[in-house]
Amino acid sequence: MKRFRFSRKQLCIPYALFLICFVVLPLAVIVYYAFTDGSGRFTLENLLSFFTNGNTIGTLCYSAVIAVVVTAVCLLIAYPVAYILARSSLKRAPVLLMLFILPMWINFTLRITALKEILTVLEGNLSLHPFLNTVIGMTYDYLPFMILPLYTTLLQLDESLLEAAKDLGADPGAVFFRVTLPLSMPGIVSGITMTFLPAMTNYVILDMMYNSTYIMGSLIGSYFNIYDWHNGSMISLILFAVICIVSLLTGGEDQDDAKNRGAIL
Amino acid sequence: MTAERKTKQCRTLRTAAAGLALTASLTLALPGCVLPDGIFSDDILPGAAVSRGMASVSAAESDEKVTLRIANWEEYIDEGDWDEEEAIDLDDREGTVIFGENSMIDDFEAWYLDTYGVEVNVEYSTFGTNEDLYNQLTLGNDFDLVCPSEYMFMKLIAENRLQPLSDDFFDEENENNYYVRGVSDYIRNIFDTNTINGEPWSRYAAGYMWGTTGIVYNPEVISKEEASHWAILADPKYKGQVTIKDNVRDSYFAALGILNEEELMEPGFISSPDRLERIAELMNRTDEDTVKAAESVLKDMKENAYSFESDSGKADMVTGKVLANYQWSGDAVYTLDQAEIDDYYLAYAVPEECTNIWFDGWVMLKDGIAGDAAKQQAAEAFINFMSRPDNVVRNMYYIGYTSVIAGGDSDIIYAYADWCYGAEDDVEDTIEYPVGFFFSGDNADEAYIITAEADQADRQLFAQYPPQDVLERAVVMQYFDQENNERINQMWVNVRCFDLTSLGWQDWAKIGAVVIVVIAAVVIFKKRDDIMQLRRS
Repeated sequence: MKRFRFSRKQLCIPYALFLICFVVLPLAVIVYYAFTDGSGRFTLENLLSFFTNGNTIGTLCYSAVIAVVVTAVCLLIAYPVAYILARSSLKRAPVLLMLFILPMWINFTLRITALKEILTVLEGNLSLHPFLNTVIGMTYDYLPFMILPLYTTLLQLDESLLEAAKDLGADPGAVFFRVTLPLSMPGIVSGITMTFLPAMTNYVILDMMYNSTYIMGSLIGSYFNIYDWHNGSMISLILFAVICIVSLLTGGEDQDDAKNRGAIL
Repeated sequence: MTAERKTKQCRTLRTAAAGLALTASLTLALPGCVLPDGIFSDDILPGAAVSRGMASVSAAESDEKVTLRIANWEEYIDEGDWDEEEAIDLDDREGTVIFGENSMIDDFEAWYLDTYGVEVNVEYSTFGTNEDLYNQLTLGNDFDLVCPSEYMFMKLIAENRLQPLSDDFFDEENENNYYVRGVSDYIRNIFDTNTINGEPWSRYAAGYMWGTTGIVYNPEVISKEEASHWAILADPKYKGQVTIKDNVRDSYFAALGILNEEELMEPGFISSPDRLERIAELMNRTDEDTVKAAESVLKDMKENAYSFESDSGKADMVTGKVLANYQWSGDAVYTLDQAEIDDYYLAYAVPEECTNIWFDGWVMLKDGIAGDAAKQQAAEAFINFMSRPDNVVRNMYYIGYTSVIAGGDSDIIYAYADWCYGAEDDVEDTIEYPVGFFFSGDNADEAYIITAEADQADRQLFAQYPPQDVLERAVVMQYFDQENNERINQMWVNVRCFDLTSLGWQDWAKIGAVVIVVIAAVVIFKKRDDIMQLRRS
């Protein structure tokens, strides 16, 4: 009789079960609904209607514009902050970093509600600038997600490389653009993925900021609300595909960068 | 004082009863004090004798525990735990004091055991929207008793998913049938005359709360006249100062109100004997042309409004961010109450054209009940328990909505309305506000005239018990069948989505310019070495 032996493989079982139950199966259900119609027959109509319907395309563009603007603003604010915190000899840098991260520990609906009140004081009537308010709200919410990866990357930057560049005659601008920036690419990429994708779908902030125009998240929600799970699933699936493609592209660049590092030097 | 003594005595007896096991003989022997906690009166349960008789039968039949799965709106039932000073001292015939000590669910379980001798275990859950509930039902969550709005139970009736109420439920002789004995004739008539596939609502549904839809407004800025028309929701004069409901049915109704304003306000139309039928016909149109016209009205409303809201409107109204707010009467009462705490006085108006009368009602699900008679009895008993006048008052006090129950023989509910809105003796500016249409069916009934402070004609009293002229223009919004529903939902998505065709050539030029600048920046960055070399040479 064989003795039961506890091997390392068995440790995987709970994780495998978790992945199957909460990742693979739900995805399979989404795929099933996306490619079937009301009576359960296979159909490509949902796919076609996504690309032929002006609403979905319009919403996709609108969400993408919001996401691009939010990501760009976040990056522009976060990079200098992360750079100063990580590279300068500020004594209180960790405290400052903490102050930037602190809002993350407060529930985001509360934060947005507070922001709403501040903006009402500044703007008077929030409904007059729905797009601007959405961007401000999302930027406020996602800024820590941009700062953190940038800070970590910049902190790990090898000081000797910067010194070498200086010794070889590069001016401060060249040092930044040709050494620091390329080396901090991984941080930028992970910051972008953590900001861009949620910004396309987080309609709670949009609603709270009184923006009545749908983004992808609200559109999916509206289909599920009217019991149209098929079109709702198809939109989710397409969004998922878009996200995969974006990740693949940025991931690819990441690897190139690793190879290029030698060339830069 | 007597009340304290009474509860004490009551508790002792209850404990004793539990200890001795509840036999039929003991139940019969109990003196007239089989009261749930939280209600103290000398003789609140005229039906006590009958209920004890019933108990002897039921207890013998079944000693099994019944599980009742109920789904209701969030915050839509009294959860008890009132502060002592919250006790409501009513001026009814018996001088009843209403007090919510335990949650309604606990009280029901105790009452059911006392009355029918059967132990019932309520599994209570809540939902946020009708669609949410429907999705849960579709996913296979079984409930026995749920409380959706009228259009959702119409849909469920049409889909043949509901269990009809039993004949016993409608037996007015049974003292425990608080619903059928107490429901307002006005509401009963609506539930009897509205049909789905030839079957009246009342075969499946028992009402819970009801109300109108209208406009909460700030009377210091907006006149009552302005607030009394649907057009205010799209009035450029109040750009960015009005909120609209973020759901397709309410918004569609408002849009139709604006579209049909001229016809609805015509004197000949108003005076016509079949006005209500004609309003109902106009406001339930779902043909393509109407939907298309509504779409353009709603697009204008979207541009003009402060926001579409599903919950934030109440707070925005109270904090003064907006001046008017499309609202259900129940939430209007809540908004007015909240504002009043800060000495901010708002008012409620129902458009002169027409209004949508809505209901939330209890219905039993076929899949849940599954032919189990004991379960159905418990479900129907729950509806009756919720319709017992003292419990009606507790729920109304807690939720702020208006119950469909007028009270029947009991005058507790009218006494509560009077307790809420009756003017103090020293107030000089008062009005006589008749509510007889609801309580007795006769608006001129002297017994049901509340002497209220004058401004209540535009405030909470008006919202809770609309006067007869409002009900003469209050119609039910029917449930849309599959095809119409799809068309209207598509219209709603069109309204809410960003329309690329709305961009002019200037917008496209701007977008193009931004794209070119970004591409140029990236190219320059990538080719910076070549550029540097060029400059050097």
